[in-house]
Formats: sequence, C-alpha cells, structure tokens
Amino acid sequence: MARHQLLSIIVVAAVALVTGFLVAGQVKAQLLTPSNQVARYQALVRSVQDLEATNGDFRRQIAAIRAQINALETEAAGRSAATQALQNQVADLRAHAGLTAMHGPGVQIKLVNGVPGPDTGGQAGYLVNFQDVQDLVNLLFAQGAEGIAVNGRRITPLTAYSGSAGQVVIDQGPPLSSPITVTAVGDRNRMLAALDDSAALPDIRARQVQFQLRLTFFGSPDLPLPAYDSSLQITHVSTN
Amino acid sequence: MSVRTRTTPRRRAPGRAISIWLIALLVALVATVQIRSQAEVERTLVGIDTTSLAFLIDDLHRANDSLQAEAADLQRRQAALRSGTSGAADQELSDEANRLRAIEGLVPVHGPGVVIVIDAAGVKALDLQDALNNLSAGGAEAIAVNDRRVVAGVAIEQASAGVAIDGVVVAPPWTITTIGDANRIAEVADLMTKALRADRRVRQATYRVEADVVIQSVVSERPFVYALSS
Repeated sequence: MARHQLLSIIVVAAVALVTGFLVAGQVKAQLLTPSNQVARYQALVRSVQDLEATNGDFRRQIAAIRAQINALETEAAGRSAATQALQNQVADLRAHAGLTAMHGPGVQIKLVNGVPGPDTGGQAGYLVNFQDVQDLVNLLFAQGAEGIAVNGRRITPLTAYSGSAGQVVIDQGPPLSSPITVTAVGDRNRMLAALDDSAALPDIRARQVQFQLRLTFFGSPDLPLPAYDSSLQITHVSTN
Repeated sequence: MSVRTRTTPRRRAPGRAISIWLIALLVALVATVQIRSQAEVERTLVGIDTTSLAFLIDDLHRANDSLQAEAADLQRRQAALRSGTSGAADQELSDEANRLRAIEGLVPVHGPGVVIVIDAAGVKALDLQDALNNLSAGGAEAIAVNDRRVVAGVAIEQASAGVAIDGVVVAPPWTITTIGDANRIAEVADLMTKALRADRRVRQATYRVEADVVIQSVVSERPFVYALSS
C-alpha cells in the first residue's frame, strides 16, 4: 500500500518535474517568438509570391502588347515604302536588343548547386549565385554569343544581375535559383572551347572542387531563344 | 485495516488519475507545440532569411513599377499606331529606333549621372565587370570606361597587358562615366568607392555627381552571323 502510494507520488513528481523543465525550456526558448517568426516569415513569403504573380502578369501583358505593336507596324509598313524601311531598321535593332525571339547554333549550360561544406568565403559557396551567371554570360559574349537567355530570361544590352543566397535576379526579376540554364546562340565552337578551358570561370571551377557545384554543357546545331519580355526603358538618357 | 487501506487508494484513484492525465496531456501539448513551431521555422527558413526576403520584396516592388511603366508606354505607342496615319507610325518607329540605338550604345548620349575615378594596380577584368554590373543594377542606363562604351555583350577580358574592353587594353586610372538616376547611382558609387579605398591595391577611388554627363563613344554594329529570327 505504502509502496503503491509512494510509487504514485514519485510518478506525479516525475511528471511534474518534466513539465516544469519543459515549461521553463519553453519560456526560455520563447515559444511565442518562433510562432511569430513563422507568421512574419509566411507573410513575407506571401508578399513575395503575390509580387511574383504580378510580375508575371506584367510580363505577359508586355509581350502581348509588343506583339500587337508589331502587327500594327507591319500594317502601316504595307502602306508606305518609307515606313517599311523604318520598320526594317527597327526590326534589326530590336533583334540586337533581345526583343525578338531567335534561334541558331549554340551551347546550353546547366549550373546546379553543390553540397554544403566548410566555407571560408563568408558566402554559401555551394549555391549558384548571380556572379556565376554574370561571369558565364560575359564569357559567352566574349566568345561569340549573339544572343543569350538565362532560364528563359533574355539578356539585353542593359541587363544587370543581383541577388543573394542562391537567388539570381536578372533585370526586373523574379529571382531564379538552381538549376540555372544558360542558352547562347552564336559561334558554337568558340563557346565550347572557352567552356572547356580550365582557366576560364576560375571561381566556378574552384567551387566545383570544393562544393561539387555542377557545370555541364553541350553544343547544339539549333537552339531557341525567347524574346525579352520586360522593361527596356531609359528615362535619363538623351541622344541630342 | 487492510480493507480501509485498500479502499482509501481506490477512492483517491480517480482524482489522482485525472491529475496525472491532465499533466501528461499538458506535457504532450507543450512538447507538440514546441516541436511543431521549431519544425515550421526550420522548414520555412530554408535557403533564405527574412532580411533577404525584405530586400527581395523591395526589389520586386521596384521591378513591378518599372514593368508597369513599360506596359503604359507600350499602350501609348499602340494607341498612336492605331490612329492609323502613316505619319504616326513613322514617328513611333523613328522614336523607337533612336531609343534602341541609345540602349545598344550605337549613338552618343548625355544626361544626369555620376563620374567615378579609380586608380589601382593589379585590378582584374572581373573587378571591372563587377563594378559595372553594380552600377547597371543601381540605375546606370549608359556607361563608358575611359571613353570606351560598355553595354552587356561588349567583352571585358583579362589580357596579358591588363584589362581589355572590346579587345583594347584600358589602363588605370579608370574613369567610369555613367548616365541614369544620379541619386541611385551616387549611392552605389559611394559604397563602391568606400570599399575600394579599403583595398590596398587602390590608390584613388572618388566619384562626383554631374547634371549633364556626355558619353561620345559608341559601340560598333555587329551583324548576326549565326542567329536567325524565329
């Protein structure tokens, strides 16, 4: 009897003790703070998702209006030789600005995140970052690329890269992340030779060894590039 | 005696059992909430922190504003073309040609901007590429380095004699001339020059804002050899 009672008391005491520790631990760990953190984080994520959806809507709208403008210009060019000559000039300029879909021989490169490891650079070196994409695009242009797209996002003369922690933002976003596919149309042999050169892309090559970052590529006789679908506004530059 | 001692615990048992169950329930509840909270934090915080998300939101707002402005401008051009007159079409096409020539670096341009001077030894092509990208991301719409026009697509490479732009070695000091949103570019230039001055290779890194910067240099036109319009 006394043993039974003693046992019960011990069980209750033990449970109470565990509860006490848990409650104390909980208070120390600030149970409410993680919950609020999650709520705040989720609100931020929802904002990003909403803004990305709006971004996509604007892109579709821009692409559609540009197609309608092209049709209207073609219609006007059919009525006047001078307008036709102007339209031809603009078509060539648009092609060079990346505003026209194109295709041709080229290379396709895939960049994939590596695996986390000891990092001395202060950055997550195993993640593909915007400088990797910038370096790759610069190399391809230097080696005869006539047009480039990154994950279907066309590079233009005004293109700029930014981002953080594995996020690659090109022009007006939205951010891209691994795997990153870079497609370039141009001198396929020169571009392949440059990609094969072990001295090219030193930072990526070092991280291939350190973090197993993956860089693969192949040449193709015909690769498609989409038209640029974002803003190409210059509001501060004057030509006269 | 034995009966009493047996019956007493039996009478107390329901109350004690309820207490134990309540405590156990509380333990389970607290533990579950705690574990789920932590798991949720870990699951959603993978890859990107809240500060980066806040920056991302800021960037997306600016990007969407820019896209909206582009859409509005395109709608205006579309309306002008719909007016149906040949003169309107010619005007729109001429304006578009001029704008694209400026974007592609084919004509001299001017406007408000920032001029940055960097004198350094041992800086590489990658350093210059990073600097120019920062300025482009910071609102530069036209850029030249030592009177050589730079747009995306112009090769900046490391040559044995130094950094070459479009095949021509450009020796320091570099004068980087930019045209665009002078306030935004100045912020970038300020951060950049501060960082550069902390670099032992750099002898000088300064910038100045100007109301009207002129860029006379142009990029030569390159007809496509391989690419075909779809």
